[in-house]
Amino acid sequence: VSVDLADFLPAYLTEVEELLSAANAQLLALETAARQRSASPRTVRELFRALHTIKGLSAMVDVEPIVSIAHWMETALRHADQAGGRLPEASIEPMMEGLRAIEERVRQLATGAHVSEAPRGLLERLEALEGAVRGHPGQEGTSTLQLEPTLATKLSASDQEQLLAGIASGRRALRLDYVPSAERAAQGLTINTVRDRVSQLAEIVKVVPMAGASPGGGNLTFALLLLTGAEDSALLDAVGGPPATVRSIISPPPSEPTPISALFTESLAPNEEGPAVEPRRSNVLRVEVSRLDDALERLAALVVSRSKLARAVNELTKAGVQTRELVQVLQENARQLRDLRASILHLRMVRVRDVLDRLPLLIRGLRRTTGKLVRLELDVGDAELDKAVADRLLPAIVHLVRNAVDHALESPEERRAAGKLEEGVVRLACHARSGGRLELTVSDDGRGVDAAAAAARAGVPVPASSSELLDLLCRPGLSTRASANATSGRGMGMDIVKRITVDQLGGELSLDTKPGQGTTFSLCVPLTITIVDAFVFECAALRYAVAVSAVEEIIDVDTARLVRPPGLANGGMTLVERRGQAVPLVPLERLLQRESGREGPGPKAFVVRQRGAPMAFAVDKLLGQQEIVLRTLEDPLVKVPGVAGATDLGDGLPTLVLDLPALGTARGGASRMEFVPQRGGEA
Amino acid sequence: MPEVLVVDDSKVMRDMVVACLRPYPGLAFTHASSGLEAIERLSLKPYDLIILDLNMPDIGGIEVVEFVRGQDTLRHLPIVIVTTRGDEASRTRALQAGANRFMTKPFTPEAILTEVRALLERGQG
Repeated sequence: VSVDLADFLPAYLTEVEELLSAANAQLLALETAARQRSASPRTVRELFRALHTIKGLSAMVDVEPIVSIAHWMETALRHADQAGGRLPEASIEPMMEGLRAIEERVRQLATGAHVSEAPRGLLERLEALEGAVRGHPGQEGTSTLQLEPTLATKLSASDQEQLLAGIASGRRALRLDYVPSAERAAQGLTINTVRDRVSQLAEIVKVVPMAGASPGGGNLTFALLLLTGAEDSALLDAVGGPPATVRSIISPPPSEPTPISALFTESLAPNEEGPAVEPRRSNVLRVEVSRLDDALERLAALVVSRSKLARAVNELTKAGVQTRELVQVLQENARQLRDLRASILHLRMVRVRDVLDRLPLLIRGLRRTTGKLVRLELDVGDAELDKAVADRLLPAIVHLVRNAVDHALESPEERRAAGKLEEGVVRLACHARSGGRLELTVSDDGRGVDAAAAAARAGVPVPASSSELLDLLCRPGLSTRASANATSGRGMGMDIVKRITVDQLGGELSLDTKPGQGTTFSLCVPLTITIVDAFVFECAALRYAVAVSAVEEIIDVDTARLVRPPGLANGGMTLVERRGQAVPLVPLERLLQRESGREGPGPKAFVVRQRGAPMAFAVDKLLGQQEIVLRTLEDPLVKVPGVAGATDLGDGLPTLVLDLPALGTARGGASRMEFVPQRGGEA
Repeated sequence: MPEVLVVDDSKVMRDMVVACLRPYPGLAFTHASSGLEAIERLSLKPYDLIILDLNMPDIGGIEVVEFVRGQDTLRHLPIVIVTTRGDEASRTRALQAGANRFMTKPFTPEAILTEVRALLERGQG
């Protein structure tokens, strides 16, 4: 059996992307710490571990450029760790560049592109960081903690500092003993779950495994050293009750205030390290989206066989058979299928917070390039979105945030002159809406949109309402600035934001702006969408799409092999030969009531099954295959068998998605569609 | 059936190690995503071999080796340490603590298979 580690590439990419996203947040935290000249030993170590894991994994899948970059970043962090958890401010920028360079190579790998060499200059800059951070001796831990000698030797100086700082900020330092056992493991209580549960109640400073007879008959005890404000009973509950124990690890107890300042060496500030930035905790299973889609497809097949079953039962009922029980089971089955579909869809939900985790970094970059002072506020709670929606929505949000900083926010001087705080605010918030929708708002407290200037630029009258103003801003090519600049001039305007939100996702976009006070864009999008792999084709000068899964085969229509049987046997239908079998061929434009302006059927045909028998639809040209967002049509006028819905292929115009197996199957074989698709009259 | 405990906080890495060792007939694998979990599992059930990453949160590989070697029942448990370039210092410490073998990433499937085979079959026959 040969093992090819290259097979692990997809899993590698997912894990590395997660590590990078945690690493970005950790490096930002280190930047803040560096500015405040405080130490963050834990964050330094976490970032070190993330890069170390990236390095090791990249070596296994043979991506040397990433190994080199991660190696030198890791070396700099090793020295930062030796310097007591301090990464100098001057190191932040090269480290940021390093993360960017790794990300770029991960993207190259993901798209199957050639992975660029590690940039020489970057490696040299990173290598030069070595030593720069040396020479700061680590903080000496002034241990006044009453620890058992066995425990004390397991705590590093920074662990002890962390405990002391926690006590100084008014929390209790406790030792919670957890005794594992096979019975508890069988109930799902393991050190991993204990750690997760306890971390909800307390800051875990260290977990020390201790061998030897333990209460309850085991031979192992985990001593969790904690800082907490939680009750003992809550902590004991979290670890499954006795034989677990909890006790204080300092004396005198915190109720008798110790002169705290005496505990510290001069520069150590209490609570210096903010909440730890950890990679998303395990207990989370990563699954490729395609596997979930696969599950959905199987479910769809299940739904089809259920409706066959229902039909069969219906026939039985008509024939006078007693089917009451069967009907009940069928109803129950329908409900179960609906629930199953809902839970599979739920698996595709991602947290909006996780989707937006790159925004702090974007803001940081914008602060540097624009020289504006800006703060990002995220108020997204635990809102979730379908991954497919989130992936499409993110570029629109990035654009709005970019615009807000670049165009809407004033310079610090202008803001001061206008009586505002120098630091502007860009705020992102989420609210669940009824009908399976989520509203996301991007607001700023900047100068507001100058409607008159925008109108003058477009050469139209000043819009009377905010929706007219939005329409104006969303005109392709309109920019509210004379010249596109480095940050916003990236070829994406409000027209794209509208296309993504409205045309692609079927959502709504609205605008609220007040001169001098700020602007809010609201994007109301469906929580979930249907993605279909589709063939896109042309017929009678219009584009259409059809689901790949519905098409059995695409054939060339050879006019020399067409047969038109005499008489009415086939309703005058043309037949085309396909592997020795005659298949009815219908020029699609005839069903669509369009004129092709040509004699005979188009040169390509989709073969589909209609009631078990093959049927070919001739079209003009196959344009390609792509994933489309299927939007079901809700307009009663266009509820026609044969139309699955509409989609936007990226041109902002609606394209019909045909359901060929259902098209023209109404009695007579060739019912016509009662409408002609409108092709973007106003565009 | 020999039981192997694969300890790494990276799931991809654990999966890769298991894939590399699959060709060895009759191995059963248990995953542990942290040093603490490894120690817990070792206290609940005997294993024939442990494959251990050095770089993990809370408790690193070296601390696991130290703990394991401090236990009478685990004194002879074969330990393969998986390291990465740059881990040279830790490697020396792990060796002093009593690890048996080292695999440095990148390693080939054959290389780790050979080491594991040698450790599992030593003292037999």
